[in-house]
Amino acid sequence: MTATIDAIRRGRIFYLFVMPFAVLTILFGVWPILLSIQVSFTASATALRPEPTYVGFANYAKVFADPIFLASLSRTLIYTALSVVANLAFALAFAMLLASALITRGNLFFRLALFLPVVTPDVAGYVVWRWLYDRSFGALNAFLDIVGLPAFAGLSGKDTAMAALLIAELWHHAGFYMIIFLANLAMRDRSLEEAAHIDGATAWQRWRYVILPQLRPALIINTVYALIQFLKTFTVVVVMTKGGPTDATNFVSYYAYQLFDQGRYGEATAMATILFAVVIVISMSAYLIGERGARR
Amino acid sequence: MKTVAKLLGAGVFAVLGTLPLKAQQLVVWHDLGDNGVKWFEAMSAEFAKTKPGVTVRSLSFPTDQWFGRVISALNTDTAPDLIYNNYERVIRIETQTGKVMDLKSAFAGVADKSFLGEDDLRVATFKGKQIIIPIQRVQMAFGVRKSWLDKNGGKFPDTWDEVKVLAAAFRDKDPDGNGRADTFGMALQAAKPRDLIHMLDLFTFGSGLRHTLIDPEGKITIDRPEHAQVLEEFLKTYSTYKFVSPDTVNHSFGEMYQIIEGGRGGMFRVGDWNVRKWDGANVLDGDFVSGPWPKFAANRPNSVVIGGMRGIAVPENSPNKALAVEFAQFMLTKAAQQASLENVGAAVRKDLDVSKLSPRSQYFAKAEHRLVAYDFPESIHSFYPELEAAFHRKLLSGIANPPADWKPFIAETAKEMRDLAAKLKN
Repeated sequence: MTATIDAIRRGRIFYLFVMPFAVLTILFGVWPILLSIQVSFTASATALRPEPTYVGFANYAKVFADPIFLASLSRTLIYTALSVVANLAFALAFAMLLASALITRGNLFFRLALFLPVVTPDVAGYVVWRWLYDRSFGALNAFLDIVGLPAFAGLSGKDTAMAALLIAELWHHAGFYMIIFLANLAMRDRSLEEAAHIDGATAWQRWRYVILPQLRPALIINTVYALIQFLKTFTVVVVMTKGGPTDATNFVSYYAYQLFDQGRYGEATAMATILFAVVIVISMSAYLIGERGARR
Repeated sequence: MKTVAKLLGAGVFAVLGTLPLKAQQLVVWHDLGDNGVKWFEAMSAEFAKTKPGVTVRSLSFPTDQWFGRVISALNTDTAPDLIYNNYERVIRIETQTGKVMDLKSAFAGVADKSFLGEDDLRVATFKGKQIIIPIQRVQMAFGVRKSWLDKNGGKFPDTWDEVKVLAAAFRDKDPDGNGRADTFGMALQAAKPRDLIHMLDLFTFGSGLRHTLIDPEGKITIDRPEHAQVLEEFLKTYSTYKFVSPDTVNHSFGEMYQIIEGGRGGMFRVGDWNVRKWDGANVLDGDFVSGPWPKFAANRPNSVVIGGMRGIAVPENSPNKALAVEFAQFMLTKAAQQASLENVGAAVRKDLDVSKLSPRSQYFAKAEHRLVAYDFPESIHSFYPELEAAFHRKLLSGIANPPADWKPFIAETAKEMRDLAAKLKN
């Protein structure tokens, strides 16, 4: 006990500095999450009253019995998997290209051009993408028409809407992942590549067995961050499709939002809580798998 | 001593004299944007003539935020003095808080109110409680772009068949003369449940029918022959007829307005609140004409639809409740209603000066055509929003894969809605 008090006394300056941020984190980070979880155990009609009626796990049971939610959850997982792979592959490819000797002239321009969408307000960017996809006046279909290719249904086709969103999100996010890869590439030990080269390793072997293992920190960070980002996909849906057509892009975040609109607060927060748990489990798993691989 | 007493007395009088002039502010939360803010400013100036020192400050929020802020403020005793919005939105506030004041006695205290009918008061009442004082009827007419209409005969379409002919012409005959096939017969919306069903409501009620999906007794109406006819034609508008933009399945209000204001839609909904903006030189410049919704049967009269009733509500925990009630009563006076008409384009009084309004605004202000009121099923069936969401989902699936024959689709939809309504009721 005395030892604990001594330790606190010794670290009082540390605790003093940490305190304001800890309070802010609890107040604006943890508390709203706990409140949201609390609402998920209440009857929707009384959910926002000072003394709500608690219904136990009834909202969760209702949500898991809802086929639209289950379809939405599986759609979210598919979209996340595709988006994470596409974004990371695209970002890694461009990072490798920009870090290589292939592009020396205009290197800074290409870096800026690829990073610019990241700092562009997402809503503005997605509105422009919506116009690009527009079937009556969009630039994309105008181009396809000129080159004699069939029109792209884009956001209004239920088989193409998800791909259309994925491309727009790729444009918006890939630059961020690319910067992380570029930073990691700049820090790599180039003598290992030279040694491998002297030992007769091919370009592919040098990339696969020398460069890629050194990119593990960036891969872990980018994978975890991308998983969190795409599991929570929302803004692009609100701006471009509103969950349609025929639920083709109705991801969990947006479905929960729709229920808020119908005053079904209990079910909506139950969905948000389930999504929160899914995000935590998947991102922690990805992180642990990555870390375990690094220790080997 | 006497001098001191006189000075003290004078001081007390001076303080007492200033008391009635003490500044007092009422705060109103609404979602009417800049026009609404101007309206409340005008009313504040009028109200101050009888209540010196009282000002009314209004804050406008986007509708989604308005809900959240009002619910949390009423539940945490940080309510504004008054809230202003559509009746069905105030119902939701009352459902979630139970803290909207019953305005029956306040309304009884208004001497001049003969212009409000039984229908208006029915709309203002929820579960025996008068939750709003009706201030603005929300009228929605059928609009046609006038210059396009003039190029195609100039006759405002009265029947659905006439609308179809005109819609095809607007789509195919390059009505804007720019040499490109970039125009549509109509501008509608479909993305969210309320988007699509609201459009269907207008065609249904405007053509003389009542109860788009469910009647007050809880019976599903969509497969009744006259309802099925409207629903089938409505669905074809989005699919086989190709009268709307192919992206309409993803369009909500914002995108629908882009089509209208961007000069690409020939026929559309005109709300009384749209007219002021659309009269503007940089918008439609008054290039539209309004009328009743099209007829689907010769024996049923068509109408302009009263799609809502906006009203003023007072929270139980309003900080200045007595004064807030006085202001709510004041909003029915001629001066306040005149300001409403001039700033927002709607009112409930019929004795207002409309001479300063554009002919398009006058159409609504004078109520030139038969009016029919929407039935607000959400005020009777608490499960309605969930039922409507399922109905929307089903209709969108039909629009995405149009069946060769819509009749079995409508029959199947009706059965599904009956099953769901029964389940939700229980």
